[in-house]
Amino acid sequence: MMSFSYTLAESYGFSLWERLLFAALIAISIALFWRRFAVVLLKILHSRKDADFRLSPIGRRVWDFFWEVLCQSKVIRQRPLPGLAHALVFWGFCAFALVTANHCAVGLGVGFLNPGSAMGMFYFDFAAVFALACAIGITGLFYRRFLVQPRWLGRELSWESGLIAFLIFALMVTYLAMFFVATGSAAAHALWWAHSLTLLVFLPIIPRTKHMHLVLSPATVFLSRGGFSRIPALVGDEDFGLVAGADVTRLASLQAYTCVECGRCTEHCPAANTGKLLDPKEIILGLRGYLNEYGPASHEPLLGKYNQQEAAFQCTTCGACEFQCPVGIEHLPIIVGLRRGVVNTGAWEDDHGAKLFLALERGSNALGISTHDRDKFIQKQALPVFDGSQEYCLWLGCMGGYDPKGREIVSDFARVMNYLGTSFGVLRKEKCTGDPVRRLGNDLLFQQLAETNLEALSQSGVTKIVSICPHCVRTIQEDWKEFGTPPAIEHHSEFLARHADRLPQQKTDKKIVYHDPCYLGRYRDIYDAPRTVTSKAGQLVEAPRSRERSFCCGAGGGLAFLGEESGERVSHVRAAELTGTGADTIGTACPFCNSMFRDALASAGGRAPELLDIAQLTARGLGPADSN
Amino acid sequence: MSGIWVVLEERDGRMGRISWEAVAAARQLGEQTGAPVSAIVIGAETQAAADEASARVTGRVVRLQHSLLFPYTADGFTSALEQFFRAEQPAYAVFPHTYQVRDYAPALAARLGQVLIGDVTGITEGPEFTRQLMQGRLNGTFRHTGEGTCFLSVQSGAFRADTAGNGNAEVSLFAPVLEAAQIRTRPGECFRASAQTVDLGSAQIIVSVGRGIQEAENLPIVEQLAQALGAELAASRPICDSGWLPMERQVGSSGQTVSPRLYVAIGISGAIQHLVGMKGSQCVVAINKDPDAPIFEIADYGIVGDLFEVVPALTAAVNAIKQ
Amino acid sequence: MKIIVAIKQVPERDAQVRINSTGGWIEEADLQWALNESDAYALEEALQLKEKHSGEVVVLSAGPGRVGSTIREALAKGADRAIHVECNDLERHDVVGIARLLAAAVGPEKPDLVLTGLQSDDFGHGQTGVVLAELLGLPHASLILHVEKTDTGLLVKRELEEGWFQEVALPIPAVLTIQSGGSKLRYATLMGIKRAKTKEVRRITASELSVAPGQVVILDKLSLPHKQKSTQILAGDAKEAASALVEKLRFEVRVL
Repeated sequence: MMSFSYTLAESYGFSLWERLLFAALIAISIALFWRRFAVVLLKILHSRKDADFRLSPIGRRVWDFFWEVLCQSKVIRQRPLPGLAHALVFWGFCAFALVTANHCAVGLGVGFLNPGSAMGMFYFDFAAVFALACAIGITGLFYRRFLVQPRWLGRELSWESGLIAFLIFALMVTYLAMFFVATGSAAAHALWWAHSLTLLVFLPIIPRTKHMHLVLSPATVFLSRGGFSRIPALVGDEDFGLVAGADVTRLASLQAYTCVECGRCTEHCPAANTGKLLDPKEIILGLRGYLNEYGPASHEPLLGKYNQQEAAFQCTTCGACEFQCPVGIEHLPIIVGLRRGVVNTGAWEDDHGAKLFLALERGSNALGISTHDRDKFIQKQALPVFDGSQEYCLWLGCMGGYDPKGREIVSDFARVMNYLGTSFGVLRKEKCTGDPVRRLGNDLLFQQLAETNLEALSQSGVTKIVSICPHCVRTIQEDWKEFGTPPAIEHHSEFLARHADRLPQQKTDKKIVYHDPCYLGRYRDIYDAPRTVTSKAGQLVEAPRSRERSFCCGAGGGLAFLGEESGERVSHVRAAELTGTGADTIGTACPFCNSMFRDALASAGGRAPELLDIAQLTARGLGPADSN
Repeated sequence: MSGIWVVLEERDGRMGRISWEAVAAARQLGEQTGAPVSAIVIGAETQAAADEASARVTGRVVRLQHSLLFPYTADGFTSALEQFFRAEQPAYAVFPHTYQVRDYAPALAARLGQVLIGDVTGITEGPEFTRQLMQGRLNGTFRHTGEGTCFLSVQSGAFRADTAGNGNAEVSLFAPVLEAAQIRTRPGECFRASAQTVDLGSAQIIVSVGRGIQEAENLPIVEQLAQALGAELAASRPICDSGWLPMERQVGSSGQTVSPRLYVAIGISGAIQHLVGMKGSQCVVAINKDPDAPIFEIADYGIVGDLFEVVPALTAAVNAIKQ
Repeated sequence: MKIIVAIKQVPERDAQVRINSTGGWIEEADLQWALNESDAYALEEALQLKEKHSGEVVVLSAGPGRVGSTIREALAKGADRAIHVECNDLERHDVVGIARLLAAAVGPEKPDLVLTGLQSDDFGHGQTGVVLAELLGLPHASLILHVEKTDTGLLVKRELEEGWFQEVALPIPAVLTIQSGGSKLRYATLMGIKRAKTKEVRRITASELSVAPGQVVILDKLSLPHKQKSTQILAGDAKEAASALVEKLRFEVRVL
């Protein structure tokens, strides 16, 4: 191939004025970088402190950093091909760091990597392999951006993306070309300068473009709140959520400046996919725009010029955006934070929203139905009332207690529990867990509901809860923690899966497509348990988008109660996708999904698949209802 | 201190049924106390009303007449009746529990040092008066103590108008002293809410149709029933989604919330999204072929059957009684 | 404009009310309480008037200590201050007795407008506002859905029966009883609750107002109504069921 002729460690080729010029250029480049970077850094540091921020457990942070940043796991797993291209560029940069440092040192006459040494010889070759990979990667990304043009990246092609791609490519090429020119030759000299200039132009561009993520995203991933959709507690008497710039915390600011505009959030967002105003990427960029114009101390409302109230209230909190984000942005605390800002101050005016809030201020459930109705159902189904002697408290939730379809699910699940000989009872004083109001940002109501329920549970001596509703499960287990210690809770899919070996295997070749509810999958990381249960009742098939990438039914985030949506209905899109699998049955594990699909299938007309909860699927295996 | 006086209420130039129901209640009181029932007609022109009343009561009929007594004002009615009752000192003053009575009778009673027992649904020995409390969840028995007239108003439908009886009472005139300055409120014309937009929220009767109707072409049978009942037509979401009826006729969580006196749900199974929109209805009738449909859970009356047979039969039955 | 809103705390709509051991009143222990519904609309109307014309909204409520939570709720929704008439035996007062208590508290305030709900969801007399006007010597209008301030006083929209309405003009000061549903209620907010902490609640006792319980009309005893709501399925063929239903609608529901 070529004789090893890497000469840059030898300083004789540089005149004094060249060294001075190079030093000056470095100074200018760093100054230009710093001029913008310092502005951003100060905006982040001048944002409000995150009151609940704890560095511990540090192990989790180190692992996230290793897995998500160094291994690029999320980048690759969720978009394999472009993800790999990106990883090649990233790893190329990592390997190149030492080379670049040496390159600059050489220019100043203090090179430290000796190509003659074994270490130097190894490292330059090692870096060359990565440089090659990086060049291929960036070419691939360039091709995708400018020729494939996925719509998630935004319609407008920015010159900066092209320029950056060119610079990265040039950096790699000028490095690799060194291997082909003679030591000390004029060509080598020219290449050195070309490489240097590329580097010096590249540096100031970073903080001025989305390439800021090169610097910030490792910190963002490392410092993230962790958990999923973790909504921070409000602090003190003047904290009402994200009202104005002064309420934006450091983590939120950091995340806003980290966004790399890859559009993965948009690609998976049910709202953005059905013609609504909301685009999670724009929420983050809107926050950045706000911080750029008004700064973190401003009292200008956050919802206005840069972010629209309408968009904030179109979020189903399905969490696909937060799950997908490769740079550690936590969209949900921000979107819910914006809602809190307008709801906690009374600025949000919405007929349906007010109706929901008033129903829960005055009554016990989100549907605004009389509790007597629930009592009647409990009586009719002869559901035992929890008296402290039973193992489980069966939490009905609003859907299980009041929705006719939800009641069928509860009745069937109760049948299965009886079949398994598990004792359970229902709570008379159960109220809504506060899930919809929590997601809609009504902290007053949420606190009242959480506290009342916690008290009722502790009075009744409940230690274990099982529920058919993933929203209840999530809210009780995670969100209530702010106000007390909730009993252990699990979703009925977990319960059923644990007892799967005692449940009959139904002999049928019927195909069942299982739909992952957002609050069970992404929120709770339960994917296999409901599949185990479903497999007992038929032949499990998968929807095109399933597990972590499951597409929302449209009900979450309180949206089930907010009336008609604009654009296409999320539930219709998902129901059509599920129907399209050709399955005989759609299996659900959430009464909200169930209720959304029920409507969607009905208005789709034609031959609709049967719609059953996993508890109903299981109960079918037990034979006719009156036999046990 | 004697006599039972009923204050009759005229509407559109005629006595409303509820006035005769008040007379029936008074008659029941009269049976306990042995006193005859007399009636008061009140207004600017009372001759026709007095003639109508005279045929129904056994005591006397008094025309409380003054030009300032039309249109109705609380100040005018309170003052006129105060003058009459101060002169007459009746044992009982009975009113129909109408919106108008609710507007002045409490003040009238208070002015005479009394307390109105309102919205009475039953009269028992004593006499004791039954009325509902806690929005109908409890009944309370009330008793008038001390001296003076006992004021009560009776709930619409609680007594049967046809038991008011007949009579041929003597009619006399009582001219109260009223001055324009006494009347502090100025009532305007009465009007109905504009009929141009669909206002399900204030509809008294709603006929609502769901998926059971199967095809848009079948809608006329439901429309005919709505027409017969004088009802607004509404629908569940799938019907409006399909464009068979306009969106503003949708009842439910994403549509309108209604609370009519009568809600007829036809071919509606009763999904929760629908139930939350109509659960405030006073009376729910469900027609569905599925006996397990959840709508029957909340219905007052149910017909399990094929709506294509039941609805036309119902339309015919309604039309029959209107003739 | 200075507006007083008289509000009442009543058992929550869903609450299981039980008759107490003497049979004369309900068992109050373990009961959940809420702001009376039409009073919530009266408060809303007052707050909207204040937002339009500026002024002050004072809430007034009579009852025992527990009423404090409902008063706080009203303050949280935007009322400026409150008067709590402490009275532990409100159920022993007849309508005029309660109105006397309220009138004694309202009098010295000299408000431009007194608003109250059309009727309470517990006793359901629907008279307190009208009697209050009589005791204060003020003009009144009842069943009001909408209030507008004019140069000479007020123009109000009054609900009549069977879908009819009427506009009534009246001078101020005046008393209005507000019908539910005329406006859209606002929801309680965290900010409101925090702001309410610093608002004034003046407490006066019934004896300080020297009002004795009115006892012209006495509630003797409470009982459970006979009929429990359950679905009546009308049997027979289409024709029979239809005519059975028409009978029911005519004579039981009385809508035909």
